[in-house]
Amino acid sequence: MSHVNYTVFTIVLVLFLVVTLTGFAAARWRRADNMLHLNEWGLGGRGFGTFIGWFLIGGDLYTAYTFVAVPSAVFLAGAVSGFFAVSYTIMVFPIALIFMPRLWSVSRVHNYVTPADFIRGRYGSRSLALATALTGILALLPYIALQLVGIQAVLTVMGVGTTSTNTWVKDLPLIIAFLVLAIFTAVSGLRAPTLIAFIKDTLIYVMIIVAVLYIPTRLGGWGHIFAAGEAKMTSVNPKTNKPTGVFIPTSGNSQLAFATLSLGSACALFCYPHAITATLATKRRDVIKRNMALLPIYSIMLGFIALLGYMAIADKTTAANVKGPGKGNGQLAVPYLFQHMFPSWFTGIAFAAIVIGALVPAAIMSIAAANLFTRNIFKEFVKPDASPRLETRISQAASFVVKLGALLFAVELPKTFSINLQLLGGIWILQTFPALVIGLFTRWLDRYALLGGWLGGMIFGTIAAYRTSNPTTSHWAASTDLEFGHTMYIGLSALVLNIVISVVLTLILRAVRVPQGADETLPHQYTADPDEAPAPVPAGVGTEPAVGG
Amino acid sequence: MTQPALKTKSPLTAHPWISTVIALLVAADIWFTLYVPLYASATPKVGDFPFFYFYLMIYMPVTGVVLWIVYLLQKKIRIADSPAAGRGTGTGTSEVTR
Repeated sequence: MSHVNYTVFTIVLVLFLVVTLTGFAAARWRRADNMLHLNEWGLGGRGFGTFIGWFLIGGDLYTAYTFVAVPSAVFLAGAVSGFFAVSYTIMVFPIALIFMPRLWSVSRVHNYVTPADFIRGRYGSRSLALATALTGILALLPYIALQLVGIQAVLTVMGVGTTSTNTWVKDLPLIIAFLVLAIFTAVSGLRAPTLIAFIKDTLIYVMIIVAVLYIPTRLGGWGHIFAAGEAKMTSVNPKTNKPTGVFIPTSGNSQLAFATLSLGSACALFCYPHAITATLATKRRDVIKRNMALLPIYSIMLGFIALLGYMAIADKTTAANVKGPGKGNGQLAVPYLFQHMFPSWFTGIAFAAIVIGALVPAAIMSIAAANLFTRNIFKEFVKPDASPRLETRISQAASFVVKLGALLFAVELPKTFSINLQLLGGIWILQTFPALVIGLFTRWLDRYALLGGWLGGMIFGTIAAYRTSNPTTSHWAASTDLEFGHTMYIGLSALVLNIVISVVLTLILRAVRVPQGADETLPHQYTADPDEAPAPVPAGVGTEPAVGG
Repeated sequence: MTQPALKTKSPLTAHPWISTVIALLVAADIWFTLYVPLYASATPKVGDFPFFYFYLMIYMPVTGVVLWIVYLLQKKIRIADSPAAGRGTGTGTSEVTR
């Protein structure tokens, strides 16, 4: 604790306390008569309009991945590993616009809470729904872990933390922060991160506008920043005898890697249960469509945040700090840059923005994972007659357990290249794409064929990701690998394999006339736009949509 | 792929032109960032920004505008359909948009 700057520490602590209080107070916001229902705890009443929806979905999608992992990857390896995120967040909105309104409508009509609920209804298959639910939970763990890594990066630079060699003792402040998060999430459900998202976005916007206007003036302008980035990326890394990174992807292989990483991540994002949770919490079909056009405003910011990686290269003190005791720990780049560039009080605000920016999505992700567990594992296989009240209680407890799982991930997996945590989750979640997204348009694919495709994709993707290595890490080191001589995002290769298996198996199963499950959805329900909140399906709900306010 | 028309004609057949425009806008929006060779060059520099970086940064607001136009077009289709659809609800009669 010797190097703690107390101005920074106090500001972060105060803002953290404000957020904590907001989190608990959120339980009373837009309160419903009966809060013990998953539509309330897990989806905040399903009544958010465009304005709140923008903050909620934005607060959900732009995570520590955005604020820490992307600039860190740009800092370490330039365009292909890092700046692809800009291309990815461009593509994600037109892609999501194609299928999310359909998912919203059918979920509204049938009162689905999770993506696996939809799969079960669409294919009449418990096993396929279970596979989707397990994949969702598994994929969210590294993604939540990435949020922890982001918080940890800030705490490290702040000098908070004990010097013990035991990881669990060393990370005590992180664990405390996470416990607080876990408690208010369990109490307030989705209302907590939604309300906190307002604070988060305000802080993030202030931080990034100041950073973009101010830091280049300190570093001799954008020209100098790009030149420094280019110099580092083209310099030869003595360990590998290859260039350190890619400044502009001009070779065919780097372009393919860039494009597949972007496309794969874009297809993956709205398959993630937390993205679906935030979307289903909105009030009208139009709210989603409008937000697909409004959320790119957020992404403009992502572009500038990514460029903070080059600023960290251009600033010699920051670059030296990052290389220092942490041994090339890239995710420290942005925190060190802020610490060196800003006066203490503003560093405090910026650090608080990053910490809160990680807490909001972590809360939504744990809620999404908890809903999956409750609806598609507990209720489906353990206690089919669970009341809405019991469902909510189970979800509250599960959200706690999920966070502990993520903590394990954060402590155990190599963190030097944190962006891989998200890409690893992406590899897994992409394997639910055929059942979920293709299923929204056609039911031609057979349920068992989809299950086979899913299994193939999961096995291939996991093994391929495990086998990637680099000079410093022997496993889980990268998210791209060579397929027939082309560098591609593993998630996308696995998805292609998945779809091929699904199609072939469907043809075989049709040929031998294997019976298909019942489909409880009707074509017009995919474009429906019911005025009022649903709740006709699970009996005994009785929640009138509470006072609109 | 084909959705059997339950009550109304699908928007694709009722409004072929607008639907085509919507599809093209969405497809173009994806394609022009997916096809990397199009913009993967350092020149021409725009201000201090290499073209590659400038292109992606400027693409963001463009996406927002394109998707807003898509939203407005879809709304236009819906409003055109709604009087007919409104009368049709509940009865489930086959509707033809007028």
